[in-house]
Amino acid sequence: MTGPLDVSQDMSLFLAVILGFFFGLFLERGGLGNPRKLTGVFYLTDFAVPKVMFTAILVAATGLYLLSDLKLMDLGKVWIVPTFFWPQLVGGALFGIGYVVSGYCPGTAVAGLASGRLDALVAMIGIGIGSLIFAVFYPVIEGFYQSSAMGEATIPGVLGVSHWVVLTALFIAAGLMFYFMERYEKKTRQDHS
Amino acid sequence: MVKNNFWSPYIAGTGLGLTLLATFYIAGWGLGASSTFSLLTSVGMNQVLPDFTRGLAYFSQNLNTEAPLKNWMLFEVVGVFIGALSGALLGRNFKFRFDRGSATGVGMRLFTAVTGGIMIGFAGRLARGCTSGVGLSGGAQLAIAGWIFVIAMFVFGFIAAAFLKRLWS
Repeated sequence: MTGPLDVSQDMSLFLAVILGFFFGLFLERGGLGNPRKLTGVFYLTDFAVPKVMFTAILVAATGLYLLSDLKLMDLGKVWIVPTFFWPQLVGGALFGIGYVVSGYCPGTAVAGLASGRLDALVAMIGIGIGSLIFAVFYPVIEGFYQSSAMGEATIPGVLGVSHWVVLTALFIAAGLMFYFMERYEKKTRQDHS
Repeated sequence: MVKNNFWSPYIAGTGLGLTLLATFYIAGWGLGASSTFSLLTSVGMNQVLPDFTRGLAYFSQNLNTEAPLKNWMLFEVVGVFIGALSGALLGRNFKFRFDRGSATGVGMRLFTAVTGGIMIGFAGRLARGCTSGVGLSGGAQLAIAGWIFVIAMFVFGFIAAAFLKRLWS
């Protein structure tokens, strides 16, 4: 069967809960419901976030492009995250600051609340207020929001190389990053003992 | 180093990656989170101030469907809550608390949680998604969007942490 699957709306919503269940389970069990672990990377004390995140990206990216090459997945029917260069650069920057300040991002705040953290609930209310502020100022922001549109641009597409070249480079970069994180953690742990 | 029973981040990351791959295969899009907060805010605001809310072009697009709450991402986020709750109970990690750095008071934590939340709520709308929808899902698609978001997020996270040294110590 070639993906994506064609299912009824009710079935689709049911599967959304199931997929979300595993998303939440792995977030929480990976330690990503804990704001001290979530912010640890920025203070070089805990690298759980980049380890979980880049492992997940490598696994999903390899699987996605492998299934596509094997004709088990029709990438043309997959909704590729559209690129709007400057809004996403500025949005990512502001998001990074807000992440350190609040200790969460939207998904991990849900995981934080689910492990009993009431500060995560406060952060979630803040996220709602932030969305409202965006909606109120949307007429002013819209021009910037719609600027630098690049459509479904991908790294292999823009570079004009095979996705396997990009994936190989990512595997090497992530492998090196994991190696240095492990070495650094081992070193600082010894210093403290 | 706090003692805990969390899984290895590589195991959790592999599980998360397989979940994301299954989502691409089944639904035809990735995982997300932040749009649900925007949806719930617009639906909630519409109950209290319908004229004002429907006058907001950005929110009215959430409301102009037959059943706004029959939304894939909302159902997924409900699943995230149940899954994380199960994980916390399984690992005996469920405890009501107000998590903060040891140098941060409760009042200060309230302030940082809400202001930081406002920043990520606004930034997530501007970037068309958050760490999950753009960073993780876009990153795995090798979409330019995902990688500029992730790089900008980490660079400015490090800068913010340098200015807020005692926040999480």
